[in-house]
Amino acid sequence: MKFLPLVWRNLARNPLRTALTAGAIGLAIALVCLLLTMPNGLDVLLERAASNTRIVVHNEAGLVYPLPYAYLQKIRSLPGVVGAASWSWYGGVFEIEKGVTFPNFAVEPEPIGTVWADWGIDAKQLEDFRRYRDGAIVGGATLKRQGWKVGDRITLKGTLYPVDLQFRIVAEIPNDRAPFLLFQREYLDQALRAAGRGGLDTLGIVYVRVDDPARVAPVMAQIDTMFKNSEAQTASETEKSYFSSFFSMLSGFVTIILIVTGLVALCIVFIAANTASMSVRERLGEIAVLKALGFKRRLIFTTLVAEAVILSGLGGALGALASLGLTQLLHARASSWNSSLGPLGSFIVTETILVQGLFLALFVGMISGVVPALGAARRSVAETLREVF
Amino acid sequence: MIELQDVSRVYHRGADEIHALEHVSLQIGRGRFAALMGPSGSGKSTLLNILAGLDRPTSGSVRVAGVSLNELSEDELAAFRARHVGFVFQFFNLIPVLDACQNVELPLLLTHLRKAERRERAQTALRVVGLAERGAHRPGELSGGEQQRVAIARAIVTDPEIVVADEPTGDLDARNAVEILGLLRDLCREFQKTVVMVTHDPRGEKFVDEIHQLDKGVLRHSAAQREAAAR
Repeated sequence: MKFLPLVWRNLARNPLRTALTAGAIGLAIALVCLLLTMPNGLDVLLERAASNTRIVVHNEAGLVYPLPYAYLQKIRSLPGVVGAASWSWYGGVFEIEKGVTFPNFAVEPEPIGTVWADWGIDAKQLEDFRRYRDGAIVGGATLKRQGWKVGDRITLKGTLYPVDLQFRIVAEIPNDRAPFLLFQREYLDQALRAAGRGGLDTLGIVYVRVDDPARVAPVMAQIDTMFKNSEAQTASETEKSYFSSFFSMLSGFVTIILIVTGLVALCIVFIAANTASMSVRERLGEIAVLKALGFKRRLIFTTLVAEAVILSGLGGALGALASLGLTQLLHARASSWNSSLGPLGSFIVTETILVQGLFLALFVGMISGVVPALGAARRSVAETLREVF
Repeated sequence: MIELQDVSRVYHRGADEIHALEHVSLQIGRGRFAALMGPSGSGKSTLLNILAGLDRPTSGSVRVAGVSLNELSEDELAAFRARHVGFVFQFFNLIPVLDACQNVELPLLLTHLRKAERRERAQTALRVVGLAERGAHRPGELSGGEQQRVAIARAIVTDPEIVVADEPTGDLDARNAVEILGLLRDLCREFQKTVVMVTHDPRGEKFVDEIHQLDKGVLRHSAAQREAAAR
């Protein structure tokens, strides 16, 4: 401890260099901490986004392939199924020239309240959705972004189907995670018939709600078995698994980010090592004098490594705390999905991540300090004095 | 106090062998002020480094303060220097980020003294060299002569038997050089320190008790001060 003031004075010798090095290390540690929140953050997001009693049924060949509409009724008749609704992609665009778009689907209005009871749509609004053929339910995020409200009328231009549809907004999904616009399937069906394009006899996916989480697996197996030898075989999965297949596309991206993070950390080791070695090289004479005064090699080595570790530890602590502060701030503004922040509120720097960041910083400091410190400690005093003075 | 027997030091630079010292034998008694003199490259600093335990001879024996330095490990040599030897360098070599008092206190960090005792001894050493009021100043705020006084205070703060000084007046003006030489002589007279000084400065001859002349690594002549002055 009595050598700490000496270590501290040496760190303060070149304040700008010390601040810049600590800043670089802090930035890298903040980046590492933020990236370490990703796997856990995605899990949290997945847990919140998915229900444990909802099943998604789609064509086994892939999501872009439709299923016969008749499948819906067969699925509804299975024991344990409390509701099922089909979603068919309409592909409507609000302002095509400005590229204003959001996901919009044709659905059956009756089972919405049952299948998505967790959305908490107002009962009166749900009733209006069932009553008005041109009614639309719009996600809160989309309403906010477009500046719409319940009662407004909007027109979507069809891109997949050659019909433009006018809607009256009758309900809001009070949930920022659901940016959809849902409207009655019959409305699209009638519009297509009126346009001489025949009716809507297929569906995109079927959402099924079962009465008990324990029955999810048997119902999925029943559905897939039921359509096994039919023209379009189905693949059923839990909603969580369905979403995770989307997120799995991100996991490769996460892996790349983590690799890049590792490389950034390595670069920081080199930067810190360069700083440590410059600092030692500048003080070779002083170090030789300390040795002449009787400072042993081990003591010289320890004080120099301590300098690097303290510098790196301070930078790392600042970076880790900054990342903690940033994620807490984002979480305070949006605990889950937010229209302006997206999923950022779900990524939290935990105590474990904080400790990991700090240990990484200390490790970087130690690695970067060892080589120059070892060199300085092993150098002959007489030789250094002769060379430097 | 200091006994060197048949000491030689050979450096290797690539394929070349440099004979910095050749068969030097020398004795310096306790409380003596000795000067090592000679032209550049004559081996004065090498000899000083060897007798101070900073370097090892290639052959020959070195005995200082009753300790045979040949038998000591690197760490033991460091401990020997901390206990028995004080150093004064030509360019003062104070630590620029520490103030004068902290610089003087540095060798005491290697002892078991408490902070208050260390500080008290450092201030006493600064008083001895006449800089009691300048303890809070950093080296950059002191003149060359003052810096060398701080260096001398640092050299004596652990109360070593031997003080070695390598060209202590080499970077000072005439007035400061005389003051520093006088201060080193006082250390011998009043505190019974053995002072060994490498110098080119002819003014040094008037202050020392004995002069050892080296040339090309060979000790040519050793003489007491009066004899040297008469020569």
